[in-house]
Amino acid sequence: MADVLSVGVNLEAFAQAISAIQALRSSVSRVFDCLKDGMRNKETLEGREKAFIAHFQDNLHSVNRDLNELERLSNLVGKPSENHPLHNSGLLSLDPVQDKTPLYSQLLQAYKWSNKLQYHAGLASGLLNQQSLKRSANQMGVSAKRRPKAQPTTLVLPPQYVDDVISRIDRMFPEMSIHLSRPNGTSAMLLVTLGKVLKVIVVMRSLFIDRTIVKGYNENVYTEDGKLDIWSKSNYQVFQKVTDHATTALLHYQLPQMPDVVVRSFMPCTPPLPIPVPRQPPIRSPSPVAVPLDFPANSLRDPASPHHHRRLASAPLPVLATTGVR
Amino acid sequence: MGVTCVSQMPVAEGKSVQQTVELLTRKLEMLGAEKQGTFCVDCETYHTAASTLGSQGQAGKLMYVMHNSEYPLSCFALFENGPCLIADTNFDVLMVKLKGFFQSAKASKIETRGTRYQYCDFLVKVGTVTMGPSARGISVEVEYGPCVVASDCWNLLLEFLQSFLGSHTPGAPAVFGNRHDAVYGPADTMAQYMELFNKIRKQQQVPVAGIR
Repeated sequence: MADVLSVGVNLEAFAQAISAIQALRSSVSRVFDCLKDGMRNKETLEGREKAFIAHFQDNLHSVNRDLNELERLSNLVGKPSENHPLHNSGLLSLDPVQDKTPLYSQLLQAYKWSNKLQYHAGLASGLLNQQSLKRSANQMGVSAKRRPKAQPTTLVLPPQYVDDVISRIDRMFPEMSIHLSRPNGTSAMLLVTLGKVLKVIVVMRSLFIDRTIVKGYNENVYTEDGKLDIWSKSNYQVFQKVTDHATTALLHYQLPQMPDVVVRSFMPCTPPLPIPVPRQPPIRSPSPVAVPLDFPANSLRDPASPHHHRRLASAPLPVLATTGVR
Repeated sequence: MGVTCVSQMPVAEGKSVQQTVELLTRKLEMLGAEKQGTFCVDCETYHTAASTLGSQGQAGKLMYVMHNSEYPLSCFALFENGPCLIADTNFDVLMVKLKGFFQSAKASKIETRGTRYQYCDFLVKVGTVTMGPSARGISVEVEYGPCVVASDCWNLLLEFLQSFLGSHTPGAPAVFGNRHDAVYGPADTMAQYMELFNKIRKQQQVPVAGIR
């Protein structure tokens, strides 16, 4: 219904006009009643006629009075303002069938919702831009002219080189075995088995790590065809969490020019990075508390969430319980 | 198949088996576990027939044939301290054919039935152990899926058991002590169930009346 704000209508006069209409209606109906009733019983015919005429005249006078009153009031009630701040959607609010198609109220809600969404999206993009996750070799804002014309050479590496790097890393740890296969073209797929704790499927794009999936030791990593299943998540929440950490790690360690450094630091090793990290103890404990702690590199050395790991270290089971809450 | 611990919960004083089971399940539900259906583990005993003993004069060995609803297509056959055979369900039919060698012990069928709860990566099964028409005890089984090496996650399992069993938490099962780094398998679970059933068989009938 129309807002009370500034419609340009004198609402009090409006209300009075409505009651004046009711008065007019009742006086008109009185006239017709009088006519219907006819003459009342009196002694002489003249008396009856006179009484009837007087009554009739009274009623007509009251009709006249009410009509004048109504005219006066209708002049006081102004015209509603012509400008529609809401244009066509404002006319929707005048729809009388409000129950069946509450279009106007839904429209208002949708509008408010989209405004809020835009605001939140702006905030989120500001926060996300602080952590740049782009892994290309070019910087942002470099104009097309200054961008190097040559393709980044690190993307086109001979597969033999990739094999060599991987086999070198494989030999570094006795309890970790890496099995390389190329079922889909030139991108390598590594199946890393860590002791009897877990298996990690690492999908690579030349020497860049694209995705990782961490699964339990007893879970099936092959599809029905016998190929490596790179899409299905682990059945256990612990390993789903570790997958998230591993993905964060691979997004964090980015050196577009030196991808082999990245791969080395992704796996546990004495890093060529400036930050010295003590050598990790051999993988021993798959208890889910210990997994994020002792389990080398993939999640532990992720500086993006040191607080998370400290928390995990100090409060094992309650954290598990909270991660279980959906 | 993750590491599993099977233990017995003693019946609370002054309460029946049914009530204790209900207490436990209510505790689990308050913890946040989701009910996921029912389970059943049953066990039949066979002993080697006298005719096969021959000149060796050794005592007849007992063989247990067990089924577990968690592995519906399998049948487990195990000796007391010996090997465990995992076969498919046709093994039951085979046992009928082997009547000459293995005879079923009378009234030996013991089973546990109950509900199955899932809590994050833990699978908890609380069941009533019945022998014939009478309820003899309560079995509690907790499985931790992600881990397959027993020695690594025993501490975690213990902590979890303590959270809802309180003072009735069991010690480490014997099967854990045997092999430290071996991968845990369903045969170990069935061995634990066998031990539990034997213990319950030896126990006296629970004296509280009205058990059903």
